[in-house]
Amino acid sequence: MSTSSADTGVDRGTSRPGSAPVKGAAPGRGTASAKRRSHPFARFVLVRLGVGVLLCLGITILAFGLTHAVPGDPVAANLGQRALNDPAAVAAFKAKNGLDDSLPSQYWTYLTNLLHGDMGTSQQTHRPVWDDLGDKIPASLELALAAIVLALVIGVGLGIVAAVTRGRWPDRIIRVVSLAGVSVPVFWLAQVAFYVFSFKLGWIQAGGRLSPGAIPPDDITGLYTVDSLLTGEWGTFGEAFSRMVLPACVLAAFNIGVLTRFTRAAVLEALGNDYVRAARAKGLPESTVIRRHALRPALTSILTVAGLTFGGMLAGTVLVENVLSWPGLGQYAYKSALNLDLPSIMGVCLFVAVVYVVINLLVDLLYGVIDPRIRLS
Amino acid sequence: MQANHPNGASRGGIGRRALAPLAVTVVAAVTLSACGGAKKSSDGAGGSGGGNDTLVVDTSFSLKTADPSRTFEPTGIFVTRAAYDTLLTFANGDVTKPVPQLAASYEVSPDGKTFTFPLRPEAKFNDGTPVTAKDVVFSFNRVKNLKGNPSFLLDGVTVSAKDEHTVVLTTEKPDASLPFRIPTPALGIVNSTAVTAHGGSDAAGADQSDKAEQYLNTDSQGSGPYKITKYDVSTEVVLTRNDNYWGAKPKYGKVVIRNVPASTQQLNILSGESQLSLDMSADQAAKVKGQAQVLQKPTPTTAFLFSNDNPAVSKITSNKDFQEAVRYGVDYPSLLDVAGEGSAQAAGIVPGFFTGALDASAAIKRDIPRAKAALARAGLNNPTVDLYYASDVTINGINFGDLAARIQANLKDVGITVALKPAPTQTALDSYRNGTEALGLWWWQADYPDASDYLAFAPGELVGKRAGWNEGANPAVTALAEQARTATDEAARVDAFRKLQEAMQQTSPFVPLLQTAQVIAANNSVKNVYYNPIWYVDVDKLG
Amino acid sequence: MNATRIFLGDRLGAGRGNRSDPGRTGAPDAADERAARRRRRRANKSPWRSPLAVTGLVIIGVFLVAAVFASVISPEDPLAQKWPKYQAPSAEHWFGTDQLGRDILSRVIHGTRVSLPLALLLVVLAMVIGTVLGAVAGYFGGWIDMVVMRCADLVLAFPAIILAMAVVAALGPNLTNAVLAVVVVSWPTYARVVRGLVLSLRQSDFVQADRLLGASGWRVLAVDLRPNLAGPVAVLAALDLGNAVLLLSGLSFLGLGAQPPAAEWGAMVNAGSANFDAWWVAVFPGAAILLSVLAFNFLGDTLRDALDPRTARAIRG
Repeated sequence: MSTSSADTGVDRGTSRPGSAPVKGAAPGRGTASAKRRSHPFARFVLVRLGVGVLLCLGITILAFGLTHAVPGDPVAANLGQRALNDPAAVAAFKAKNGLDDSLPSQYWTYLTNLLHGDMGTSQQTHRPVWDDLGDKIPASLELALAAIVLALVIGVGLGIVAAVTRGRWPDRIIRVVSLAGVSVPVFWLAQVAFYVFSFKLGWIQAGGRLSPGAIPPDDITGLYTVDSLLTGEWGTFGEAFSRMVLPACVLAAFNIGVLTRFTRAAVLEALGNDYVRAARAKGLPESTVIRRHALRPALTSILTVAGLTFGGMLAGTVLVENVLSWPGLGQYAYKSALNLDLPSIMGVCLFVAVVYVVINLLVDLLYGVIDPRIRLS
Repeated sequence: MQANHPNGASRGGIGRRALAPLAVTVVAAVTLSACGGAKKSSDGAGGSGGGNDTLVVDTSFSLKTADPSRTFEPTGIFVTRAAYDTLLTFANGDVTKPVPQLAASYEVSPDGKTFTFPLRPEAKFNDGTPVTAKDVVFSFNRVKNLKGNPSFLLDGVTVSAKDEHTVVLTTEKPDASLPFRIPTPALGIVNSTAVTAHGGSDAAGADQSDKAEQYLNTDSQGSGPYKITKYDVSTEVVLTRNDNYWGAKPKYGKVVIRNVPASTQQLNILSGESQLSLDMSADQAAKVKGQAQVLQKPTPTTAFLFSNDNPAVSKITSNKDFQEAVRYGVDYPSLLDVAGEGSAQAAGIVPGFFTGALDASAAIKRDIPRAKAALARAGLNNPTVDLYYASDVTINGINFGDLAARIQANLKDVGITVALKPAPTQTALDSYRNGTEALGLWWWQADYPDASDYLAFAPGELVGKRAGWNEGANPAVTALAEQARTATDEAARVDAFRKLQEAMQQTSPFVPLLQTAQVIAANNSVKNVYYNPIWYVDVDKLG
Repeated sequence: MNATRIFLGDRLGAGRGNRSDPGRTGAPDAADERAARRRRRRANKSPWRSPLAVTGLVIIGVFLVAAVFASVISPEDPLAQKWPKYQAPSAEHWFGTDQLGRDILSRVIHGTRVSLPLALLLVVLAMVIGTVLGAVAGYFGGWIDMVVMRCADLVLAFPAIILAMAVVAALGPNLTNAVLAVVVVSWPTYARVVRGLVLSLRQSDFVQADRLLGASGWRVLAVDLRPNLAGPVAVLAALDLGNAVLLLSGLSFLGLGAQPPAAEWGAMVNAGSANFDAWWVAVFPGAAILLSVLAFNFLGDTLRDALDPRTARAIRG
């Protein structure tokens, strides 16, 4: 378990992620330093929030531009084959959805409505996009949560084992497994898993969050497993849980690979530190050294990666949701894109951008709380 | 570094301790799901796969609205059928004879232009109020003035109330097909009081002023055997028995219609999770036979190919000899192989079981020398043309991408190079509607069970124009179409439609390919399954 | 503000597969660093001797041979619809036949001609665009940096597959547009890494020296920095090849990439979903995707280990 001499690189690594960038950021430091001294943390949060809002604004512009560049006529998309020959119907649809105006004015209308909490009405569902998102987001959230928990448990576990057995056969096997995890096409894995576990073995019912006709638990969090536990509906919980197993495992596969690789590297890095040598020299048992002195410091960066992975997952469920009929955001986004349902596409993009910004903010704050050097520098 | 993490040890401990409850939870969940199940509908009949009182229907959704007066898509038609009664209907899947529903009977004037419908006095809406002539007039005028997809059903029709319980429809020309259009679920009768109260309008300009659609999506206002109690356009629609129904009460208290891909439908029928499946392909149906009842019936859906007749779109495809080469170059039986069991070659554009259809023996047969000769006559040497189709649709289990690839292979044999130009339906519809596709592969599903629905293929008509076959392109065919439209005598109609289709076999840009087959698979416990070509099955009649 | 940005970039990059971590490469002690690198280079075994890399190379080699000699190797014409549909694997058709009666083995072999060159092409495109933008942004700083990195942020905040879907929907579904879409979502990774490396190298003695001698910014970029960037960027590209194959086949799977009758692996997997009883329709092309991506990742992962650890950390995945 000793770190061999070949590990010099790891030994010499910068001690904490995030502590280095300060040096690379020479320009502008001097002018801002006075302000920072007064409210360093508040300023840090404010700047980050401001950047986040700008980013979201940018996303709406990008999404708006892209969706309006589509050659397909949203009018054609949302009227059927029969009405299409009636110019009056087309004109009515355009007027109703504000498709007559110039692009900037349409965008302006969208923005002002957005500020009033109105994301428009989906052209497919004829419901406010906000309501649609309210239905779909919990479904994807639940799936992504389950997947990230799974990926964390397995990925971190494997990563530690790999780090501890560095260079020996468990490490090598785990390396291949984790590389396989990031290499497998998720849509194919979903199909194969569905074929084996649902189609051939009949172990798992797939499709939907509950069996047909089942009444979802009272809406507390929107996550069926959590809600059913809170209301004590054990039958519903069992069903919601068992239906989530397959998509969650498939979704986790890629992220297990990522987290394993990351954990291994982070733990190895920590193991190379002086205080680990000191701890060993003190004669602490190896398990304690790893748990307390290697895993603990590595955990922060692992959680960071997990958080960001989670954010990516929330948006990246398109393929899994489509193959396994999970009624979440990914399926909604896919259908919206195919149907050129502009308000829905905009809504999805905006949501994903907000998640992205918020998670990054949280991660940075977390760092700031844990490591005061970051927020003070 | 250590100093930054004074709680390291205790945190690690928590992690390990937290695993125990997690493990217990997992085990408990798996056990529970094995023996229990989620809370079901109010009657509480448990068990995975729905209680006895619940019917689960799997279908790939084609659904845009549950407002009957706007309904056009197959799933929407299926749903609104159950919630909205119509004046006439078809019983047990027999679409050759309209029978009374809300109307007690109907009467046609000798000139074929006036239709009188006395209403059943006992009929009432799901809120208990009686169905009156006023509601019928409102519903029909709303359909017309919404200018939506189904508006064409009432083209040239005027509706009026003779008294509180009698409705009179008058047409501009003699119209033998009207009684066949009346049963269309889009002409379902809505509760005019309730709909008006929620922003509905039947006046001119309703396409702008009517605001009742969202209301009707969540709260159906019809006189049908079911009420729509949940409507989600992408996942499921739930119908609940209408306790105020004026007719025979349906057996199933609750019907759950779920959006499920065809492959999963097969699985669900076999596992018993669903009782009815509407979209399996013939290949899948073959695997289900024996374990479930399977109906394979021809549909009024015709898949067709066209070579655009408009020289401005393509000099090649508008050439009559090229069109002949395509017509005789397609290997029709090989397309049936792609489509699977139950589908049939379409001899003409009108499906086989409608009066006025061509005999199967009159169908075009592949003739490679003739096709090559035609191509040579056209002076075309290995021409390349674009074939447009909707890439994301599967009609009755037939993937149009596969069909297009097969046509491409067929035409390669006669020396025509076809470049495939797929697009998602919504984008493809655009070029189709604008008539800019050189070759197009599309389908036409009957809106109502009468041959007159296929007159849309005549020059200058809806589909004709999409194939660049504009008004005046072929006066002889136009005249034949007009004869078919206005003939009232049965024999004369049949004759007119046959002549029209024979003429189209000679000169039209259209190549009817095949008539698809509908697969309906049902759990053996479900009785009285009859296929209706317009709305799949009568849910309320299932036993 | 600058610190904030780098810091943000640092975290953001990690969300995309944890590659870019330019922040941590900031301001190394250059001389020390180079000495260390030399030492390690001597100490480490050549990456080309690692079993993983060899396996990866062999698999890629096999696929490349298959791509070059596809028409010779494959037993049948991949487009010929000559056989009964849905034939199970047999001596005649090793991988069975598909829904149109085509030989799946031949289609899988011909699929290498679609996936591999396109993946290569789009990675090169993304690499060139990302590297140039990142280097320019990092070296010149100021508003250029601002604009480039904000654009990168924008793309990174946009879910890759949704952005690709939107691009394809806007331009029409076909392979070219799918490649374009993937390039659009891939370049920021390179831009971030390169910018981080340039930021750190800019301070180093040899760059400072060259500047003092009067070299122009472009000259410094081209002469001093390029060789130092080449290694990390090449490793990043190797790692990205697998991702490119995955993303591209994912788009085809959704019907937004390759179109019939082209033999493309993702589209072939999709065809298999229509009929689960014919499992072979989807299983073999999917396995081909897995194998090729795995091979690229074996190679990329080994190469990364051979890089000096600081750079390696910057592109950890």
